[in-house]
Amino acid sequence: MTDLLAVEPLEAKTPLGPLFWACVAWLSLNVLAAILANLLPLQDPLFQNYSALNAGPSLHHLLGTDDLGRDIFSRIVFGSRISILVGIGAMFIGFGIGAPLGMLTAYRRGKFDHIVTTMMYVLLAFPAIIAVIAVLSFWTPRSILKIIIVIGAASIPLVYRVVRAASLSVATRDFVTAAKVQGASSLRILLREILPNITPIMVSFLLIGIASVVTLEGALAFLGLSVNPPTPSWGNMINESRTVLAQNPWLVLFPSLALCLFLLSLNFIGDRLRTYFDVSEVKL
Amino acid sequence: MIKYVARRVALLIGISFVISIGSFYLIHLLPGDPAVFILGTNDSPANRAILFKQLGLDRSIVTQYLIWIGHVLHGNLGISFISHNSVVSTIKAALPIDLEMIFLSQIVAFASAVPLAMRSARKPDGWLDRVLGAGSFTLLSVPPFIIIVLLVLFVSIKLGVANTGPASFVPLSQNFLVNLESLVLPSFTLSVGSFVVYYRVLRSDLIATLQEEFITMARSKGISARRIMWRHAFRPSSVALLGTAGVNIGGLLASGFVVQYLLAIPGLGYTLISAIDTSDYLLVQGIVLVVSVGVVFINFVFDFIINIVDPRISRE
Amino acid sequence: MSPDSRHLLEVDQLSTTFATPHGLLPAVSEVSFTLQEDETIGIVGESGSGKTVLARTIMGLQPMTNIQVEGSVLINGFQVVGASDPEKRKHWGTDVAMVFQDPMTSLNPVMRIGKQIDETLRVRLGMSRQSAKARAIELLTLVGIPSSTERYDAFPGELSGGMRQRVVIATALACSPKLLLADEPTTGLDVTIQAQILNLLGELQQRLHMSVVLITHDLGVVATRTSRLIVMYAGRVVEIGETRDIFAHHRMPYTRALLDSSPRISNPSHTRLLAIPGRPPNLLNLPNGCSFAPRCSFATDQCHNERPPLTPSSEPGHSFACWNPLPISTRSEMS
Repeated sequence: MTDLLAVEPLEAKTPLGPLFWACVAWLSLNVLAAILANLLPLQDPLFQNYSALNAGPSLHHLLGTDDLGRDIFSRIVFGSRISILVGIGAMFIGFGIGAPLGMLTAYRRGKFDHIVTTMMYVLLAFPAIIAVIAVLSFWTPRSILKIIIVIGAASIPLVYRVVRAASLSVATRDFVTAAKVQGASSLRILLREILPNITPIMVSFLLIGIASVVTLEGALAFLGLSVNPPTPSWGNMINESRTVLAQNPWLVLFPSLALCLFLLSLNFIGDRLRTYFDVSEVKL
Repeated sequence: MIKYVARRVALLIGISFVISIGSFYLIHLLPGDPAVFILGTNDSPANRAILFKQLGLDRSIVTQYLIWIGHVLHGNLGISFISHNSVVSTIKAALPIDLEMIFLSQIVAFASAVPLAMRSARKPDGWLDRVLGAGSFTLLSVPPFIIIVLLVLFVSIKLGVANTGPASFVPLSQNFLVNLESLVLPSFTLSVGSFVVYYRVLRSDLIATLQEEFITMARSKGISARRIMWRHAFRPSSVALLGTAGVNIGGLLASGFVVQYLLAIPGLGYTLISAIDTSDYLLVQGIVLVVSVGVVFINFVFDFIINIVDPRISRE
Repeated sequence: MSPDSRHLLEVDQLSTTFATPHGLLPAVSEVSFTLQEDETIGIVGESGSGKTVLARTIMGLQPMTNIQVEGSVLINGFQVVGASDPEKRKHWGTDVAMVFQDPMTSLNPVMRIGKQIDETLRVRLGMSRQSAKARAIELLTLVGIPSSTERYDAFPGELSGGMRQRVVIATALACSPKLLLADEPTTGLDVTIQAQILNLLGELQQRLHMSVVLITHDLGVVATRTSRLIVMYAGRVVEIGETRDIFAHHRMPYTRALLDSSPRISNPSHTRLLAIPGRPPNLLNLPNGCSFAPRCSFATDQCHNERPPLTPSSEPGHSFACWNPLPISTRSEMS
């Protein structure tokens, strides 16, 4: 329909919307609470109040207590530290290695790109969770650092793929060619021309990536393969709840809600940013 | 086409080789002497001799790999020193349960995702599309281990539906109906994640396909909207769907772990977690190898199906 | 044109308006014309002049959302405007069919070409699988596809552009439509193939007694193949009449500009073609007067402020929309 295309409608940028800012606020609240958990007037997440086992929500225990009489609210706040730490830590490794590599291969192309990309696609062929479980089950004793390293390493191929695809679409544009012709150094082109243009999609993918890592850590904790109790984490709280599901449904409902809202906020912000910057040509 | 398949088979073999190295190397991640860990409480000079012969632990690492892969290619993954069962027979007993769960979940996922995606794509931004869009996006943020715990809480415990709670699994060979009942919640849990992904992928591809000129041409022939959807739009829109399904089904094996763990369903996942708990390292290694190769193989099969569905791909 | 031949197609005051995020876009405005049985009419204009939208509106193929259609389109007595898809479906393929612009995109890439043809036969005419296949192969032969029995099983990707356009034509002809709308049927093809396809269409038109609406931006295409001609600009008819009258006695400066911009055999080789200065107007923001005025060297204040109506010229059936028409003496230019 060339007749229709003759008049190209300019796509108006829709505003981010109140829901977006609500998610940002919720996320900030979560992160702040995690950082300041020690300073907040919270009960000790490890203190066992034997006079209030499996208690429902009350003024004294806002979200009730678990089967050992520990305050659920305080455990959720302290538990968020694990999720946030693992999420950010793993993505730090994933982006730290995957992003520069992806930019470089997209810019250089050629044999190096071919070899690295093939390798990454081989690594992508099977689900990260199996590799993560496998390594964590042998690489004992488990610690939060090992979990971050293993999940971070497993995320490198994913980050690599996204960053390479985004860089590729930038690297072939005219202004990059223009910079090359003017004799700009490769490093300068990568940092000044390519990086700013792929930052929106990287930020968007970073948030969605953190959500995936938090989900994965939750599953590991649920399977008893993450940090050891009694340290609370959202995943191991849900795990511990399964033996007392009938007596104390709050113990599963509140951590689940906390985790889901956290993930939903991350996913929503990531998704809105992606459409806002209109980077649809790069599939996440 | 033949060239394409040959390239894919070569890649499959290559990836399996990489996986085998990874799985082999796992036991060397153990801190210290792997024999101590593998033998566990059965660490006697006699067992040690057997293990050293089995794995060639006193030889160079390359020789060790060659000995190990030789056994693997003959279908021998060793005998567990913890359970005294052959690893292969343990896997053989567990695997059908995973396959049944995945099969059931995929039937539910496709049967709901395909028609709903078609409905949505017919009227993008209509009420149904908006509801499903928001709903599926929300479900993206609910991990399977939360879905299954909540289902057990509300269905098995609050509503008291029989044969759905933990440890109520009955093998298929024993009682078909009870077996199905005991797999309702697990399969449903696995189907939720699949549904969300399939629905979203197929919907956006259908919307794109329906804008294509050949759809307008098909309409101009005077055939029904239903026929256009199924015969003209569905097939060219299903490439990404099949690719996603291939990857997703691999991931389902992993989500299955979580579900089996909670409900004590003795599939591969439950077996794997129990093996980790009992430090049965040979069994863990065997399961990792089988699952990884299986996932890659499933991807391969779906790649192949995509080629039949869309002949443009192998022509490129 | 015998006086008793009846109108197969009657288009009356037809307007198509798109609701866009930036306001209403009048793609087609107040178009009226008729077409008789066995007649071929040409519609010419630059891209963006509303030809494709007009063709799709005539057929009723536009999606229902965000589009407003006013006026009337009667095809063989059936009112297309306002009809529902199921109603229109009864006429699509059998009464009216379309040959699409770009054969690279108008065939389903994952369906064998034979299936795309006999689908129509089976669904619309209720033919059996075997007879539909036999008829599809017949149609492929009719449009000049060699070894059509083997090609029946080919995918579109295995055929050249010209061959694909023949398949598109065969599909359109499957149910022997009375009216064929050919929307730039040769735009995407090589020059030599263009002539073949156009000759094929002309031949089929005569053999099958169809009426044809031939839409193109290329006046050379319509010169010998149509009996009447409509010149469109910015969604409006600016000149209409018998083809030879338009070529010889065109009155509208835009028609002249179109003629000057298309190559003609009568000119000596290496004659410079004249490009039309300026660009087609933005349909979202049309001038009050004549849409062509901003690009027209004859434009006066009246042209800029008042829209010229279609005015009859000296020849029967010839009208033009212009305040300062070219003098009739321009006939000397065409010889």
